Amino acid sequence: MLEFMDYVQHAFYNASGWNHENSYSHLTATARALLEFETPRGVRLNISSLSSPNFATSYALGSVGLVDGSLSYLYTSLPLTTPASSGQLDLHNVIRGYRQIQELVKPDEDWMWEEWQDGKRIDRRNTLLYGRLYLPQSTLEALYLRRLSPTQQLKLSAVSDSRLRNGGTILALHQYDVGKYNTETLYSTDGGLVGIRGLYNFGPDPRNGVIIPPRTEDRFYGRFSAGAEMYYGALNKSGGISFGGRFATLPAHKGTPLTATLTLNPLMGNLSTTYAVKAGKNLSFCSKFDFNVYSYESDLILGCELWRMKKKVQKVQERSMAAKLAWRLDEVVAPLKDEPEEIAGVLKARVDQDWKFGLLWESRIKELLFSLGSTVDMKRRNQPLRALGLEVQYSS
Amino acid sequence: MAFNFNWSPLTADADFYSRTQDLLTAALNKSPKPPIIVDDIIVNELNLGSVPPELEILEIGDLAEDRFRGIFKMCYSGDAFLTLKTRVQANPLNTYLFSKPSFTSPQPLAASSGLTIPLQITLSEFKLSAFIIVVFSRQKGLTLVFRNDPLESLKVSSTFDSIPFVRDYLQNEIEKQLRTLMMDELPAIIHRLSLRLWCPEYKAREDQEAAQSAKSESNEEEETPIDPFASPPQDAVDARGNVLDASEISSLSLDGGSEIHSLFSQKNLLRLGALTDSHRTLSLFTPSIRDAVFRAWASPAERGESATISTPSTPSLSRTQSNLGNTGGTTYTFDTASESSHSSRPSLVSFQSARAGLSLGSGNHSRSHVGRKKKTRVVNLRRDKTIDDMSSVSGDSETSEAACASEPAISTQIPEEPEDNIITPPRSPSGKVRFRTGSDEDTPRRLRSLTASRNAEPPLRPAFNLEAKINSEAASPPTGSAARDNTSSTRSSMRPQRPQRPTYTSSTFSPYPAEKVSTPSTPTPYTPHATAETSGSILEQAWVLKMAGEIARRAHDEKSSRASFWANTSQDGREDSPPPAYEPAPQIAR
Repeated sequence: MLEFMDYVQHAFYNASGWNHENSYSHLTATARALLEFETPRGVRLNISSLSSPNFATSYALGSVGLVDGSLSYLYTSLPLTTPASSGQLDLHNVIRGYRQIQELVKPDEDWMWEEWQDGKRIDRRNTLLYGRLYLPQSTLEALYLRRLSPTQQLKLSAVSDSRLRNGGTILALHQYDVGKYNTETLYSTDGGLVGIRGLYNFGPDPRNGVIIPPRTEDRFYGRFSAGAEMYYGALNKSGGISFGGRFATLPAHKGTPLTATLTLNPLMGNLSTTYAVKAGKNLSFCSKFDFNVYSYESDLILGCELWRMKKKVQKVQERSMAAKLAWRLDEVVAPLKDEPEEIAGVLKARVDQDWKFGLLWESRIKELLFSLGSTVDMKRRNQPLRALGLEVQYSS
Repeated sequence: MAFNFNWSPLTADADFYSRTQDLLTAALNKSPKPPIIVDDIIVNELNLGSVPPELEILEIGDLAEDRFRGIFKMCYSGDAFLTLKTRVQANPLNTYLFSKPSFTSPQPLAASSGLTIPLQITLSEFKLSAFIIVVFSRQKGLTLVFRNDPLESLKVSSTFDSIPFVRDYLQNEIEKQLRTLMMDELPAIIHRLSLRLWCPEYKAREDQEAAQSAKSESNEEEETPIDPFASPPQDAVDARGNVLDASEISSLSLDGGSEIHSLFSQKNLLRLGALTDSHRTLSLFTPSIRDAVFRAWASPAERGESATISTPSTPSLSRTQSNLGNTGGTTYTFDTASESSHSSRPSLVSFQSARAGLSLGSGNHSRSHVGRKKKTRVVNLRRDKTIDDMSSVSGDSETSEAACASEPAISTQIPEEPEDNIITPPRSPSGKVRFRTGSDEDTPRRLRSLTASRNAEPPLRPAFNLEAKINSEAASPPTGSAARDNTSSTRSSMRPQRPQRPTYTSSTFSPYPAEKVSTPSTPTPYTPHATAETSGSILEQAWVLKMAGEIARRAHDEKSSRASFWANTSQDGREDSPPPAYEPAPQIAR
């Protein structure tokens, strides 16, 4: 389940027209959501509020053996109108599951952001500021996010912690996204790490006009993307490289939605494939297979996700006072036919080749969002239950 | 003086290397491993080499046949080597990300995917330089502690020598790991090895005790009390410094002499109990016992033997002994004097002054070379008393002044001036005191008559009780000092319970016996418990605690293997002497 501040941050992306999933680092987002979900540990309580469209606060209190917590504040120059109350927000936006790749959208032109008044430009670039203080560890997180232009974004994130070397680290990330391709360059002060990532989407270029999906139903309609990343640590003379590709069906695809990825790490001889399929309206499966050609080590993880829906409870209408006074019945109002089902909860489960299970149940009770998770290690017969956690979120 | 350290015989033992490898493996995997190491570290090969370390003796604190304590400076640059096997993470990006906060992580997609590689590391060319504290005792094994970081340098050669980053990383990590190993784990390993080598009877005793507890308790009671007179010291002396012969010592016994029990005052014992408790529980409260040297920091072995000899300020031990010795030779006449002092004051005073004057002469004389602290004590007493004496006792000025330090006369004033009374309590039973000083040539027969008379006289006991009560209520400086003297003396006198009573060796005595005799109202039994409690120096205690867990773990499998062993050891009579330092360990273990 996304934390409230991440939810607000995504709302900022959406409001500012930034497709944050069109990035090489999100190539395997579906598999990660289905297989590498985090099970809560201990008891956590989050109380958050988007008190004004520009300002959000969140407080977290957790207990894993000892009590810790965090305070976080967020400011955005772009007013956010997304529902923030935990009773109203859409669970699909909070719970990451099977990620349906959307059609690419043509980015705004630069002139669209210009605002003129009296012959002067008055438009400002949208900015998001975020800070979080962890107690009692006294760790400070800070984020500065700025939309430089319709196709560019700068993200500065910093952590200050006395336990880190040099007292903290700063990561600068510049993203350039034109839809057809995306490049990212990053620099981290920790070890002088320099990195570059790129993703290229095969198929029609959204800049050339609106993409019209074909009407054929018998063949896959999807998109193939390929990308690469490269890192080099200037101080410790180390580096890393990887290539990846993904095929994912688009919403217009009539058949079963699926996503398949392949990533390669030629330096380490690592090969990883994932295959995720949305078997039904509320059911998804995913598998991941890792293999290392140098050490012959392999790893297999299976996972699934089940959304449980429930009918909305029909409100029993009392006879109105006016009707009573008039000695008649109320007129029968035809109920809305296509009232959407309500999400009762999401069950996620994964199992790997060592028979380690991960279970997560995320749901909403009244105004509270909660996630209950556990990891079970069947190899340890005497004590299979490794961790059990409960996380409760409330926001207004 | 020369010491002979054998280096090679260690390696001659076929089992030695395998055992050490097991212990090292366990030690290496105990502490959290750096992220680059993804598997257990297994010690594959170990060789101590042929070049022994150079040891330079800096200090030897204790030296005996079965124990040793000393500080060494050790330098080692030999040909020992150690080969470790483990699996490491070969992707530097993976380990880079491991300890970094996720918030600023670059979040690579697959560039950080891991590759674990089996790795063989050879550690060689150790260069060590350290100050080592070695404490060895046959019962406690060998304890070795590094005062500083011993590791100067070492060479790490591995399969990754061609990659500079990995090599540097490994070098750093291994040095770090080895430092903790040297400082924390190695002493524990050595201790455990030494226990196996030298201390089979420790396990045996454990078994024995367990067996005993299973049996009827009557057996235990027979064995537990330790008679300090079981093994008389080589050169026992009485208060005058005269050597006591064996027959005289043998005439003293714990059971026979009620006066021996009465040597300890209950109040002082309580105070001592509080003191030992405060040491054991780390309580910050320490009962103020002036002129007492706290030997809690000394090892239990030392305590008993060196306490009185090394510290002039704790005369207590010798005092008790002198008292004992004197009881052998006290005169009956003085006893009557004390009685008279209780009954009739004036006559007493004169009588005392005469007698005490004589006795004090000798007492002062001997006191003069006892030590500085004693003198100060004397001064205190004298000042207070002279006033009292002068006021209360009319005629005898000079003699009483001289005698005041050990004067029993003051006891007569109990009802009138509480402060004076406070001083007196030690003296009041003065009959004994005076006997001692005056009577060198008395016969055991007289002693018997003395004890008989004392038992026969009821008035003495109540008086003592009263005095003790007053003592506790009033806190005037002179009282305090007197009481403290007593406490210190009783405290140290408790120690002689160990079979080897070294205390007799000190020859300084006579001035204070008065205090000693007076104090006790209730007999204090000798309990073996007391000796067992003197658990050892802080250093050793820390080790005991640390190793208690280890020992507990090993105790079980040890027992089975040692079962035959202790059957032998139980015959050599070692169990007579209680195990001083490791007594608490089995308790914790259970």
